[in-house]
Amino acid sequence: MLMVTQFYWMVRKDLVSEYRARQVWPAMLMLGTLVSFLFSAQLDGVVEGRSRIVGMLVWLAIYFAGILAMHRTFAMEQEDDCWDALRLYPVTASWIYLAKFTVNFLTLATLQVVVLGLFVVFSNVPLLDHPLRMLTVALLGNVGLTSVGTLLGGVWTENRQGSTMLAFLTLPLAAPVLLAASEATRLVIDQEGGPLWWRWLSFLVVFSIVFVTAGIVLFELLIED
Amino acid sequence: MQRSDLKIVSARWLTWLVTGLLVAALGMAMRVAPMEQSMGQVQRILYIHVSVAWLGLMGFAVMGVCAMLYLLHRNMAWNRWSQAANEVGWLCSSLTLFTGSIWAHAAWGTWWTWDPRLTTSLLLWALYSSCLILRGSIQESHRSARITSSLALLGLIDLPLVIMATRWFRGIHPTSPEMEPVMHFTLLLNVIGFTLFFSLLFLRRLRQLQTDNLLRKLELEALVNHPYPPLSAAGG
Repeated sequence: MLMVTQFYWMVRKDLVSEYRARQVWPAMLMLGTLVSFLFSAQLDGVVEGRSRIVGMLVWLAIYFAGILAMHRTFAMEQEDDCWDALRLYPVTASWIYLAKFTVNFLTLATLQVVVLGLFVVFSNVPLLDHPLRMLTVALLGNVGLTSVGTLLGGVWTENRQGSTMLAFLTLPLAAPVLLAASEATRLVIDQEGGPLWWRWLSFLVVFSIVFVTAGIVLFELLIED
Repeated sequence: MQRSDLKIVSARWLTWLVTGLLVAALGMAMRVAPMEQSMGQVQRILYIHVSVAWLGLMGFAVMGVCAMLYLLHRNMAWNRWSQAANEVGWLCSSLTLFTGSIWAHAAWGTWWTWDPRLTTSLLLWALYSSCLILRGSIQESHRSARITSSLALLGLIDLPLVIMATRWFRGIHPTSPEMEPVMHFTLLLNVIGFTLFFSLLFLRRLRQLQTDNLLRKLELEALVNHPYPPLSAAGG
């Protein structure tokens, strides 16, 4: 029970700090908006294979804007030695990982709402015709990307090239999620269900479970001094 | 395995033996094995492609296991094993993509296609490359080893995806094409030849890393015993 309370305070700390300083969300949402706008502009006139292209572009926009936010979640802890103070908090590193994971999940979820909305408006694709199916893909894709991003985000907090390193280190590990989520999104747009849909969904579930578990186990190793 | 245990890998006779076997295997692939009817001469690249592809996967498994052992024991010797596997594995993985691309151009009329096996192989190469860059970008040795080992361990998840890609997902990459017995034998000989050659390369790199470590230790020891250079050496 004590751990859950401490977990709550760690999540609350990050959310309140973001609410007060507005360091991450505005920049991330602005980047997401601009990327969605530019991608959608290029889709004008594309008829053949539109659903496949949109499926990938949606997730690329989410990935690139999301990575910026995931790096900042850890980078802001460097100011005034907050990271050292957080390490002294009487919880295991796994709980710190879970707290950061939760904050990143909420951040990415907000970004997803904006990006998906913009793609519906600008690209004129039926992304939200099956809201429940799209919600499932968005949630699982979010968990997959967040688990990898949070795990590796802790490594590069002190480095100047942190966000660049994080982007290229995360990409090979997150690529299976991006591909699976894009394919599942394409099936949502094309209104196709059946075994193929379930296969991609199962893939996302397995990947999310594996990486969240890996994050809980390995986070301590990555952040120890 | 200590540095002295690896002395045998620098023996000249072993180098000649392994190189001789590899040349014989390649000679069989280029001259003795019958030419495939539909693809012609370019099919011969398969003997190299399959061999290096197998070693690329094997290298990642070795790197992952050594990374796990480093994380469990915190012994830098395991990190050196992991680094040697990383470097040799990266070379094999790059050769897999290169030879595969040449074959694909002849067979499918394109250098690259987003087939599941090709995509997952590219991911494997990207993971190898990430680990290599990580090793070079962190100065502190234990921190570098810890982070790279964690990434290698996470990358192991990609391994079953590459192996099972042709079974789990529909694609155009051939699985196990029918072959004549001579072709089978040639392929086996090439796999053995390449495995021995790259194993030797791996062990030599490992020995080099161990020597480098020993030199650093001696350098540090000398610095502790004689913190200041003698006046004559300093030009005084």
